[in-house]
Amino acid sequence: MTSAKTARRLNRILAMLPWVIAHPGVSVEELCDRFDYTKSELVNDLNTVFVCGLPGYGPGDLMVAYIDEDEVVVEMADYFARPLRLAPHEMLVLIASGRALLSSGQGSDVLRRAVDKLEAVLLPDGEESLVVDLAEPPLVGVLGAAAAEGQVVRIEHVPIASGVPKTRDVEPWAVFSTMGNWYVSAYCRLVQDERVFRLDRIRTADVTGDTFDPPSDPPEPLVRYTPSESDVRATLRLGSSARWVADYYPVDVIAVDDTGLTVRFSASDAAIIARLLVRLGDTAELIDGDAVAASEAALRKRILARYS
Amino acid sequence: MQRVIERALNLLAFLLTAERPVTADEIRRTVAGYDQESDEAFHRTFERDKELLRRLGVPLQLAPTDGWEIEFGYVIPSEEWDLADPGLTDEERTAVLLAAQAVRFGGQAAGPDALFKLGGAPSSVGGEPLAADLGVPSANIEAAFQAVSERRELSFTYSGVGRTVQPYGLVHRRGNWYAVGPEVAARSVVKAFRLDRATDPRVGERMGAFQRPSGFDASAAIPSAPWEAGADDIVAVVRFDAEVAWLAERHLTDAATVTRDSRGAIEVSLPVAAPMAFIGWVIGFEDRAEILSPQELRSRFIELVEGAA
Repeated sequence: MTSAKTARRLNRILAMLPWVIAHPGVSVEELCDRFDYTKSELVNDLNTVFVCGLPGYGPGDLMVAYIDEDEVVVEMADYFARPLRLAPHEMLVLIASGRALLSSGQGSDVLRRAVDKLEAVLLPDGEESLVVDLAEPPLVGVLGAAAAEGQVVRIEHVPIASGVPKTRDVEPWAVFSTMGNWYVSAYCRLVQDERVFRLDRIRTADVTGDTFDPPSDPPEPLVRYTPSESDVRATLRLGSSARWVADYYPVDVIAVDDTGLTVRFSASDAAIIARLLVRLGDTAELIDGDAVAASEAALRKRILARYS
Repeated sequence: MQRVIERALNLLAFLLTAERPVTADEIRRTVAGYDQESDEAFHRTFERDKELLRRLGVPLQLAPTDGWEIEFGYVIPSEEWDLADPGLTDEERTAVLLAAQAVRFGGQAAGPDALFKLGGAPSSVGGEPLAADLGVPSANIEAAFQAVSERRELSFTYSGVGRTVQPYGLVHRRGNWYAVGPEVAARSVVKAFRLDRATDPRVGERMGAFQRPSGFDASAAIPSAPWEAGADDIVAVVRFDAEVAWLAERHLTDAATVTRDSRGAIEVSLPVAAPMAFIGWVIGFEDRAEILSPQELRSRFIELVEGAA
């Protein structure tokens, strides 16, 4: 297996050569800027090109590549005049990214034009064959703008566990979508710490008029749940039709056999596991976890009271 | 690395000018860098180089060297080396690169390399804030994309059954990727296959193996809510108390009809195709929601909450 570094270097050479051939007299500075080269990397690649070419490998067979004053010169390399086609995974990244931003209302007209041009070439068959739908929920606009402008926002947020609404002032850093849900990462003034909130659980968001300095380099938001000391733990037996739980929730699988699996589940609140158990019915069983058992019994009683 | 790069450039130069299939043997005798002593060392080196070129997207193919198809050689069809130039301006290149950096795949952001083949982006600005993560890239998604863009058939194992699909489209919705299209075995029914549930993907050899119906809309084949994906055909009516009404409304699709009373509680009438997915969603509202009808769905809900005991 050739290293990823080698593949990247060859890829850059095969992209740089056609550019120079199509733009004679291009400057070292522009080429470095465009292809993310340092000058010594560029010199190195030109020297490599200089010793390669066609069989015979004499002076008339090798490519010519050098720097003259400040201009990059490439000659005798017409077979590399056209840029190599994008590999399918490269097209996917570019088009899907563009479509994603446009579907969330964050893309500009320039981006729309660019994606249309790419699709016309890469998906010649019609514009509806690649769809990325991030279904932008309400509040993305308000929170996104507040993050960009450094506006403090007062949110009424309902945690999934307790269901009890709480009002907090937050300094929003970024609004983003992952695994099908939208989130805002923020500094929460109430708990004086970094928090990530799911947008569909924020009832209202209003700019307070207070401002903050957006951090120049906010930490990457962590969406995955990370267990802490105060969490509730339980052991669950999942039947085969409830296997998806192990893919969807952050559980530790402790045993697997033909009929299902046993997992250790931890959550910030017993109610989260209790709701899941009610929902799974006889396809799951609580093996160990008193707090969850109590929460589950209370939940069943509460719901049935409503239906009686 | 230096030797690999030189060998690859020499091999490409040779193949791009040969304009005919050349055998591995001829490559070994002709191209600089393949002077390995043993057959085994040559083949190992040559295999590695082919793998490198294919990874970069080089359309390296095997073709017979003569009309009798006795001997095969390597060829890079000139018309497949490049794509038509999309004609991007520098402003558009930068917009595409910024989008590629703001949208992640399983946490991975694209580097400036993503745009090199399209001419690079001047002053590549880095560190766009994350806007969306479309999930971990997989061989399934890449295979499906190639099949869609080149209209090739796509085979995989799904729910334990081997299937061959004519993928009309590729859709990302609610955090999942779907291939949309009919199975070759039943061409009149368009289905959506969740790609994270498919295994062993294979892309068909023939390009342009099928025609997409004109006006086909891939997104219409994917339901907008989890309970809309299924075989049942139920219209459910649910009441949500005032304090959770807004939360329920966030998850409703256009197919739902909402009536609000004077205190803010809502009654929602909506189509349900997957009853268990729907019941699972309603349980999340605990005792602040109630399924009013149909009676059968209500009974199923109550049975589930009562438990087996």
